[in-house]
Amino acid sequence: MILLVDIDAFFAQVEQLRYPALRGKPVIVGAGVIATSSYEARRRGLKTGMRLSEAKRICPEAVILEGCARTYRCFAESIFALCREVAPSVESYLDEAYLDLSGTERFHGHPLAAGARLKEQIRRVTGLTVSVGIGPNRMLAKMACKKRRPDGLNTLTQEEAPDYLFPRPVQDLPGVGHQTARKLLDLNIRTIGELRAVPVDALERLLGSPGRALHDRSLGLDSRVVTEREVPRTISRETSFHQPATDPDQIEGMLRYLCERAGRTLRELGVAARTVGASFSSTDDGGDSRVRTLRSPTDRDSEIFDTARELLRAMPTRRVALHRVGVSVTNIAPHVAEQGLLFDEAPLKESSLLKGMDAVRLQYGHSALVSGQALHLLGKLEQDEHGFVLRTPSLTK
Amino acid sequence: MRLEPLNEPVPCRADFGGGRITPLVFWRAGRAHPVTQVHARWLDRSTRHPQFYFSAQTESGDTFELRLDTGQMTWHVQSVMLEG
Repeated sequence: MILLVDIDAFFAQVEQLRYPALRGKPVIVGAGVIATSSYEARRRGLKTGMRLSEAKRICPEAVILEGCARTYRCFAESIFALCREVAPSVESYLDEAYLDLSGTERFHGHPLAAGARLKEQIRRVTGLTVSVGIGPNRMLAKMACKKRRPDGLNTLTQEEAPDYLFPRPVQDLPGVGHQTARKLLDLNIRTIGELRAVPVDALERLLGSPGRALHDRSLGLDSRVVTEREVPRTISRETSFHQPATDPDQIEGMLRYLCERAGRTLRELGVAARTVGASFSSTDDGGDSRVRTLRSPTDRDSEIFDTARELLRAMPTRRVALHRVGVSVTNIAPHVAEQGLLFDEAPLKESSLLKGMDAVRLQYGHSALVSGQALHLLGKLEQDEHGFVLRTPSLTK
Repeated sequence: MRLEPLNEPVPCRADFGGGRITPLVFWRAGRAHPVTQVHARWLDRSTRHPQFYFSAQTESGDTFELRLDTGQMTWHVQSVMLEG
């Protein structure tokens, strides 16, 4: 039995908890775009990803906060710790966690009772409400969780799955994103029941390998197991500029700093990444992102930065001011000893240097050492022991 | 409403009973701010020494964010939420 704990309107709920004056008001958390919004804001038509300018037009009374990623991470970790007291296996993401309760029935009793106890425990310890969905697999737990929110507690059994799933829009099926939904709607496949009727071979031809998984899910089947992910899938670091930026030194200086933060996280986790990505958003509502896969995994700042800079330079950014820049590393695997080059000791020297820098930063804070390219950020951005305070920090998940 | 960052060290009297920390009163600019209610509390373990945070409402009705640095055992007022 799988139990999904989903924190309701996470960032906005934390802000309403910290500042009671915000309770009952439409609250938006985000910089540039809505990262999350309270249910009061959602009822007025605001959605995640919407530009703040549009959100202000739709809901002028909304309270807009930039948010504090560190605070949210503290609350999330506190909730996930409570989840780990209940289940032997917990897979956590930014604002949700899957718990595998298999084999704990005699200990916990009925899963609904276990879910209710966990919800109450989370509310008592953190003050936050969560929605809980219970099902025989991850997908049905997710669908059960969506039945009623916020503060919901629902189950969906395998027997109930067809009646519940088939009339629902195909977009409700986990794994169906915008692109896939468009393809399916083009073929007049509008509901999960209609998707179920399509032969699996045809779905595979249409959607590739995810086609088979979607066919299974349309039947309420999902074989994905709950695993403690010690290695994150993606580490991303991004920020929006206080003023739109056009100066390449400023943009690349910030990119260098973000790469250093991502590199340090990789090294702290003892992992290396094979794919590096760079992205930007511009003031003319444009934006782009590109990725490149390296020949071998890396955790070195310079290699991440060189790749990200090349990617950014290859994107058409010269005629516009940027309001956001970001870097991501994916394809992450445990770090193995690097094969050095016979006549080039630079990578090994850099690794030694980074090891020393990480030790200094661990002791005195990330801002204790700032690279030359990021020096101009000094005095312009607020600092704490984690380094410069970014406007739209990402959580490593 | 807007959040005013302060980040000032402040003297604070707190109750450490029952395995729980509760700020009772802090002094800022020579004035005592008795805490009437703690709305939220959270713990940041990402730093070398754990940092306890509190969203505390004072008698004036303002909501302050207080931080206890367990490395130095010092209290800080991080921010205040202001109307307008």
